[in-house]
Amino acid sequence: MSFFRRKRLFTILLGLILLVGLIGFSITDRDELSSTEQFVQDAFGWMQQIVLMPINYTSQVVTNLNNISNLHHENQVLKENLSQYQRTLYEVQELRSENEELMSLLDKTESITDYTPIQAAVIARSPEQWFNQITINKGKQHGVERDMAVITAEGMIGKVQSSSQFTSTVLLLNGFDRSNRIAVNVQLPDDGGDARGFILGYNEDNDQLILEFTEYHDEISEGETVFSSGLGGVFPAGLEIGGIEEVTTDQYGLTQIAYVEPSADLEDLNHVIVVDREMATNRDIENEEEDN
Amino acid sequence: MYRLYLPSILILLVVFQGAVLQFIPAFVEENGWILASHSVFLFLILFSLFYDQNDTYYGLFFAILFGLVIDMIYTNILGVYMFSYGLTTYFVHGLRKILHANFYVALLIAIFATGFVDFMLFTIYQFIGVAQLDMANYFYQRLIPTVILNSFIFILLYLLFKRRLVKWSNDRFEKKL
Repeated sequence: MSFFRRKRLFTILLGLILLVGLIGFSITDRDELSSTEQFVQDAFGWMQQIVLMPINYTSQVVTNLNNISNLHHENQVLKENLSQYQRTLYEVQELRSENEELMSLLDKTESITDYTPIQAAVIARSPEQWFNQITINKGKQHGVERDMAVITAEGMIGKVQSSSQFTSTVLLLNGFDRSNRIAVNVQLPDDGGDARGFILGYNEDNDQLILEFTEYHDEISEGETVFSSGLGGVFPAGLEIGGIEEVTTDQYGLTQIAYVEPSADLEDLNHVIVVDREMATNRDIENEEEDN
Repeated sequence: MYRLYLPSILILLVVFQGAVLQFIPAFVEENGWILASHSVFLFLILFSLFYDQNDTYYGLFFAILFGLVIDMIYTNILGVYMFSYGLTTYFVHGLRKILHANFYVALLIAIFATGFVDFMLFTIYQFIGVAQLDMANYFYQRLIPTVILNSFIFILLYLLFKRRLVKWSNDRFEKKL
């Protein structure tokens, strides 16, 4: 009997050691998932697509039914907006052709705002809410790589955390911390310049992103839109992130920070776009250096 | 043939966990509650109580296997679910030797085991730095709602699978005798 007890204790201790080892293994900054993990993710992703398709469809229909009541009002507002857009559209076309001419004069073909969109559908969401992650149905075979930005029509929702062959995991904006900062720009009202800053993380209490400005600007007003600047070397420029809700200083009163409400709805996601930046990213450059 | 049913049910439950968040109504979030469904774990409790014999550990084996699968596809830290599910299922298996398993005992075991497993997950995640709640908030915002939700899921699973599990168990283990 005592032999069994000792064996039991031994097994539990062995389990603990295994636990610490596995956590240590997975918490390090890995470039790629192991092939076992990729295989399991793909296999379950495939099943999730089949099993959850009717469920996702039904929940979408229910959401749509809820929206119908607002349709008439929305339609009125949109019609009013549309007349204004005609003029803007004309201006945009003019500017775009002018921009192309000027770019060709300079022999400059690629810009930091350019990206290739990869359409993807959300197939599952992590039931553990401490991990703000979703699974999408596109992977390495479709060109999705780690650290690419993920957007919806309304704005940025997160970045690719890891990619398997046929599925990928996306870390949502509300799971961001200091280790995955976004370089952003906010337009200043008067001189047309930009205020630069970083998205440092997410404030769980009021569900807003924390933006830290690199310099102090008095004239930043609430309601301004925050765009990615592309200068972090990971995301393209010009992705909408959110609107400024409150401008204040940090707890020591030294730097100016702002609370940013994300433009995209992070709760109700069905179709997303993975953004493949055309200009070389930090990762591309690192990989090339390794190859040489 | 019966042997294939059990892993398939577990796989389906793992897959369904990916859609659970869609069914949680908005007021839950507005109140700041965090719900987690442990349907896979609840099935494993049933498994240990009604399928396993005193000297077989299939429930424990599947707890470790599917804990690892959940770790891989729904979190990015390996081993946490595997260890928590494994250890708790082992304790539940130990309890079945002492207690006679009827509905109320099973429900009581499920409630305590869910609380225990969720608390263990929280402790490990807090230690790593994933969960940033303090203990008091955790109890009100997550532990209590989670245990209530999971007891309902357990009653549902009990009604659906208890008889079948006993039947499969009889089919399987009496042949050996």
